[in-house]
Amino acid sequence: MPRTTTVESAGCPPLRALTFDVLGLIKVTEARSKLGGVPKVVERWGEPESSRCVLAASTNDRKIDPLLAVARKSGVIELISSINGDLRVSLPSGNQADVQSQEDNIVGLHLFKKQTSESSSRSCTLLTCTTKGLSTLRSLTLPKSPGDSTSDDDQVTWNVCAAGNVLCCKVDDNENYALFGGKGVEVNIWDLATHTKIWTAKSPPKNSLGIFTPTWFTSATFLCKDDHRKFVGGTNSHQVRLYDMAAQRRPVMSFDFRETPIKAITEDQDGNTIYIGNGSGDLASVDIRTGKLLGCFLGKCSGSIRSIARHPDLPVIASCGLDSYLRIWDIKSRQLLSAVFLKQHLTNVVFDSHFNDEEVAAASGPPSEPKEDDELIERDEESPPIVKRKKKKSKSRDVDRDDDDDDDESHSVKRKKSKKSQNVDEDEDDDADEGPHSKENKKSKKPKNVDKYEEGLLSVEHEKLKNVKDRKSKKSKGQRVDLE
Amino acid sequence: MAKATILHTKLQRTVGVFTCPSQHKHHTKYIMCTPYSLTFELTKENRSKSRFAITLSFSSYPCRCRRNHRRLCIRRLQSTRSSEVMGKKRKEREAQSDDDDSSKSRTKRTDSDKLVVKPQLLPSMIKNKDKRSAVYAKIKHEKKVEKRKNAKAREALESRALELGEELPPKKIPRTIENTREADETVCKPDDEELFAGNDADEFSSILTSERAPKVLMTTCRFNSTRGPALIKDLLTIIPNAEYYKRGTYDLKNIVEYANNKEFTSIIVVHTSRREPDALLIIGLPNGPTAHFKLSNLVLHKDLKNHGNPTSHKPELVLNNFTTRLGHRVGRLIQSLFPQDPEFHGRRVVTFHNQRDFIFFRHHRYVFETKENKQIDANDKSKDTEDGKKQLKGKIIARLQECGPRFTLKLTSLQHGTFDTKGGEYEWVHKPEMDTSRRRFFL
Repeated sequence: MPRTTTVESAGCPPLRALTFDVLGLIKVTEARSKLGGVPKVVERWGEPESSRCVLAASTNDRKIDPLLAVARKSGVIELISSINGDLRVSLPSGNQADVQSQEDNIVGLHLFKKQTSESSSRSCTLLTCTTKGLSTLRSLTLPKSPGDSTSDDDQVTWNVCAAGNVLCCKVDDNENYALFGGKGVEVNIWDLATHTKIWTAKSPPKNSLGIFTPTWFTSATFLCKDDHRKFVGGTNSHQVRLYDMAAQRRPVMSFDFRETPIKAITEDQDGNTIYIGNGSGDLASVDIRTGKLLGCFLGKCSGSIRSIARHPDLPVIASCGLDSYLRIWDIKSRQLLSAVFLKQHLTNVVFDSHFNDEEVAAASGPPSEPKEDDELIERDEESPPIVKRKKKKSKSRDVDRDDDDDDDESHSVKRKKSKKSQNVDEDEDDDADEGPHSKENKKSKKPKNVDKYEEGLLSVEHEKLKNVKDRKSKKSKGQRVDLE
Repeated sequence: MAKATILHTKLQRTVGVFTCPSQHKHHTKYIMCTPYSLTFELTKENRSKSRFAITLSFSSYPCRCRRNHRRLCIRRLQSTRSSEVMGKKRKEREAQSDDDDSSKSRTKRTDSDKLVVKPQLLPSMIKNKDKRSAVYAKIKHEKKVEKRKNAKAREALESRALELGEELPPKKIPRTIENTREADETVCKPDDEELFAGNDADEFSSILTSERAPKVLMTTCRFNSTRGPALIKDLLTIIPNAEYYKRGTYDLKNIVEYANNKEFTSIIVVHTSRREPDALLIIGLPNGPTAHFKLSNLVLHKDLKNHGNPTSHKPELVLNNFTTRLGHRVGRLIQSLFPQDPEFHGRRVVTFHNQRDFIFFRHHRYVFETKENKQIDANDKSKDTEDGKKQLKGKIIARLQECGPRFTLKLTSLQHGTFDTKGGEYEWVHKPEMDTSRRRFFL
C-alpha cells in the first residue's frame, strides 16, 4: 500500500501573503473564500533579474499606507507600497559606496513600525545590517512622488562585530533592541537608542569529548513580545538554543533538531511556541519552555526552508524556501492547508494582516452578528463588482499602533463597528468631524466611503489611489462628491 | 426479513426505505429507481460511503452487520410499483447491449442479473474447490475467447479499411504509467518567461552560453578498485576535457577548493561500495548545485557485446524527457559537463534519457545508410510488408552501435551550493513521505 498523507484541507482562510524570490520578483498570493480558499498568485511585481535578488525583506504592517522594505543583491534598498507594489523610495547602495559591496551583502533589514516623530506619518526608520557587520540605522522621509529625492534625516552606522559574518539580525517587538549573530559571531544585543552593545552570549562549553563546535548562528528570534531578554537562536550544527539575558550568558537550554542546519525560526504570539525550519525542508513546532517537540509539519516539503511567517490573527503559518513552494499550514492540526508553486527559489515571505475579502469580512468576525452579514451582502450586490481591496484595508485606522497589547481587542472591536459605521461615538482615536459623515452614511448604507474620507485626510498618496478606484465605481464617486 | 416500504412515488422515481432486520439505524438504505439507474444510498450519517454501495449488485448486497442477509427483499421490491419501471429498464438494456464492447456488455449483464429473481451465486461462494476452480477456468476461457474475437474484429476492420483505401480506425493508446502521470504544476511550460529569466540567472548559464569551457575533475571515493577505475576510464573517454585525480586522503571540501582554484567547472565523484560503483556525485563549480545520484545496472564498455570503439570527437548530447523544474535543472547540470559545440562528423552521441525518474545513460555511434540493400531481403521474408517497404526505398536510415558504458542514475538529492553534508541546504531531497503514488514523478 502506498503511504498516504491525509489531505483534508478545507482550504485557506482568506489571507494575503507576499513572497520574495531570487530573481527579485515579488509575488502576491491571495486566498479568498469565494474561490474556496484556494490561494492564487494575483500579482507579480518587478522584472526578473538576478542582480535584483531579494536578500532581506521587512514589512510595516500598518493599516494606512503599509510599506515593504526590500534589500536587493545589488545593495539597493527599496521601499515599496505593499498594496499595489509602487516603488516609493529607492536607496542606492552608494551610501557606503564600496567596491567590495558584492561580498558585503545585506543580511538583515528591519522597517520600524513605530513612528519616531509623530509629526509626519511619512517618515520611516530602517535598520540594515551587512555580512561584514556594518549596521546602519537611518530614518528618512518619504517623498510625495517617487521622482523626488529622499531627504535623509539622519544616519548612524556602527560595526557589530570585528570578525566573522553576520547571518541573522532581528529587532524585538518594542523596537528598542536589536540582535545580531552569525558565523563566528556570538549573539549580541544592541540598544538601538544609544547604539551600544549591552550583552553578548558566551559559547557553550566543550562537550564530553572535548570537542568545541565553532559558533555559527544561522537564525534567531526574540521569544516574547514585551520581553527582549529571552531569545532563541538556531545554529548551523542543527542546535536550537534558548538564551535568557537575565539568567546567564550561556544558553539556558539547547536541543538538537534533525541533521541539517536550522535555517528559519519564528516565534508564536503565545510566547512559548517556536517554529523551526531546517535545510532539508523539515518544519516543526517546539514548546520552548520544555524543549519538547510538539510535532512536525508533514507535507512533502523537499527543499530548504528559508522563511517562516506567522499570521498575526489567524492560526496559520506560511513557509517558503528553495523548493519554490509557498506552503500554508494550520497551527493546531499541523496540516498543510495549501501549497502554491511560485517557480523560483523563494527567500522571504510576509503576511499582509489587514487583508479581507468583502464577503469574508463578516465571516472572520464573530458569528453573532448576522445583521452585519446581511448588510454586507446587500452592499455587495448593489455596489459594482470591482473588488476594492484597498478599501477593505482602510476600514478603520489604528493610528497609534504603539499602544500596549491589550489595546488590540478594542481595536478589533472598533474595526467591526466602523465597518458597519453605525456608531459615531467611537473613541478617542477618531476625529471629531467624522460624526456627521458617518451618520449620513448610515442612511445611505455606504459605510466605506467615510473611512475613505478619513483616510484621505490622513494620507495623500492613499487618496490618490482611492481616486483611481473611485473613477471606476460611479456610485462611490457620487458619494465622495457628497462628502466633499 | 428485511422490509422495504415505498415512501414516495413520482413520475419516474421511486424512493423506498429499506431496513435490515438487525434494526441498526445506520443500515437503513434509500433506494432510488429511475428508468435509467438503480441507486442505493445510505442514510445521511454515512452518505460518504454511498459510492461503495452503488457498485454492489442488488441481489447480493451484503449487510454491514456481517450476518448473512444477502438475499434481501428483491421480490418484495418487485412486487411493489417500482417493478414495472424496473422491468422496462431491463428490456431497454437488452435492446441496447448488442453493439457494446466487451467490458461494457459484461457490466450490463451483471446489471440485468440483478433483476433476476434468483440470487446470483458468485464463484467465490462455492465451497468445493474443484467446482470453484472449474467455474473460474470457465470464466477465464470465456474471457480469452471474447478477447480473441475482439482482436479479430479489429483486424478485419483494419484490413477492410486498407483495401478500400479508407482511413484506418484510430489505434488505441495503451495506458502506461507515464501517460497517466499525476498532474504536476512544476512542469516547465515553453511560454514561461520566468523560466528563461531563471535560466539566464542560474549557475550554468556561463558554461552553456560558451563563455567558459567546461573542464571536469574526476575522482573517486577513498577506497577504489576493480570496476570503479574501469568506469572512470570509460567516463574519461566520454567527457572531453576531463581529468582524473587520485583521491588520496583528501577531503571532498578541500578538493572542491582546489578545483575552484584550478578553474574547473565541475567535479564528478564516483563512489564505490564493495568494489561496485553505486553512486555518482556531480558538483557544479564555483557555486553550482551538487547532485547526488544512485548508480545501478552498470555495464562497462568492455562487457558490452558488439560494442563499438568511440572516437575522440566531442560527442552530441541528447537529454530526453526532463520536464519539471527540477528535471530541467538536473538536465542543465548534466549539459554543463559537455562542450556546447559537438563535432557532428564524429557521429557520436551520448544520451541521458529520463523515464519514471530513472535517468538512463547510453553512448552510441551512428551511421547513415540507404535502405536499398536490405529491401531485397525484406521482400523475400514477408510479403505483407511489401507495400510499406517499397515506399521506403532509397530512404536514409540511421544505424546505431552502442559503445561505452551503460548505467542508470536516480537522483537522491540536489543540494544548493557545493558539497557540504553538514551545513548544506537542499533544493530537493527525496523523502519517503513523498512516495504516495507510483504515478508521481519529480524529474
